[in-house]
Amino acid sequence: MIALENVSKSYGVGDNAHLVLNDISFKFPYRKSVGVLGANGAGKSTLIRIIGGADKPDNGRVVRTSRLSWPMGYSGGFQGTLTGRENARFVARIYGASYVEVERKTNEFAELGQYFDRPLSSYSAGMRSRFAMSLSYALDFDYYLVDEALETGDARLKEKFRQIFKQRRQTCSVILVSHNEQTIRKNCDVATVLHEGRLHYFDNLDDAFMLYRKLLFKKSVA
Amino acid sequence: MSFANVADRPESVFTIQCRVLHALILRELKSRYGNRRLGFAWALIEPLVFTSVFVFVFQLIGRGGAPSGIPITLFFVAGISPFFMFRDIFSEVAQGTRGNQSLLMFPQVTRMDLLIATLIVNSLLSISVFILLVLGLFFAGVTFQIENLPGVMVGFSLLILLGLGLGLVVGAVSIRYEFVKKISEPILGKPLFLTSGMFFTASMIPPFAREYALYNPLLHCIELIRSSLFVSFNSRYINLDYVCIFAIVQIGLGLMLLGFFERQRK
Repeated sequence: MIALENVSKSYGVGDNAHLVLNDISFKFPYRKSVGVLGANGAGKSTLIRIIGGADKPDNGRVVRTSRLSWPMGYSGGFQGTLTGRENARFVARIYGASYVEVERKTNEFAELGQYFDRPLSSYSAGMRSRFAMSLSYALDFDYYLVDEALETGDARLKEKFRQIFKQRRQTCSVILVSHNEQTIRKNCDVATVLHEGRLHYFDNLDDAFMLYRKLLFKKSVA
Repeated sequence: MSFANVADRPESVFTIQCRVLHALILRELKSRYGNRRLGFAWALIEPLVFTSVFVFVFQLIGRGGAPSGIPITLFFVAGISPFFMFRDIFSEVAQGTRGNQSLLMFPQVTRMDLLIATLIVNSLLSISVFILLVLGLFFAGVTFQIENLPGVMVGFSLLILLGLGLGLVVGAVSIRYEFVKKISEPILGKPLFLTSGMFFTASMIPPFAREYALYNPLLHCIELIRSSLFVSFNSRYINLDYVCIFAIVQIGLGLMLLGFFERQRK
């Protein structure tokens, strides 16, 4: 289970304090793909950091009893001086997975060839994100945490990753955070809207989009 | 889908932490020494150069012998290695374990894990370097007899705690006041370095200056290490209660400040 319990988070102190997440309680449904819609500045990145454990909430707690991925495609946590294989091995270790398996699958998905045994710092930006994406797919997670972009590489690789993602959606849960309706429509079953520190849940995607548009529109008029 | 390639769940927090620490330590060692040609030898070079320079200078100014008939090379090694360990731990902790902050993107990696892994890696490396240097000297014909091994270990442990404490305090304050990290080297590091007793024992300091130098907890630790290492040398100035209290207060203060300034971030 991945759940937020009375989670609050603010930045700054005193008069400058800005409440980004306001007492959110939410249980992310199992084996469903949940979209989190939010306008720019609504606190999407903060929410990802809190769910993924990169940041601690001021109040409340995050329950993580299921195997949760790091934000998919993020490559900040990899070490440039180490090779792709060594980075994959590190990630396999912290998740307690078999690293032979993880190394094999990562290279199979990423198609890096001999670059798999070269330092990450020698990778191009495209190779780096391909590597990061493949490594997230090489491990079997219960919940995939996704920040915006799911697509990487050329048309063929894009299609390949789309197929893998489609498969995973059948058996795993997805938490996809985005400001883009299309991304959510393509990839999610249900959706929530993050607005003024609150999460509003909808079983039906169209209802979520309706609220989201209303909020966006209201904001731009004011 | 099967979960064949992941460990069985649910797991205890302790299991996860051990796994994370194991992975972090291997990763750190690998990225420090794995891909360099000389690897671990680099860790030996700095103390070796330091020791040689000081021995050379002391011979030059005609002060060939260390106090109480301790071989001069060993005398310096017993001061330089522990001080470098303190310095490395202090700066790593103060830097927030450098680039490793981004590792927090992995859900199971916590700040505490990064801190513990840093402490383990740096302590083990520094202590191995110390042992290698001492063994090297022994085989080069510098004979000695270790008087009190537990005393040496206490000295090193206290230095680890002192480095951790000071690193936490400076690291925490510099979240808010970034210049603190930069000025900590000249205004904190230098005096600590000069009065640490790397070059002399407490009894060699003139009495009026000794009074102040003894406020430096590093001096007590290095005196302790030397007193425990050499049968012929025993310092009268070691006050372990002072060092323990100093370390505990520093660590407590550091954690408190960290909690305080962390909330104010951004």
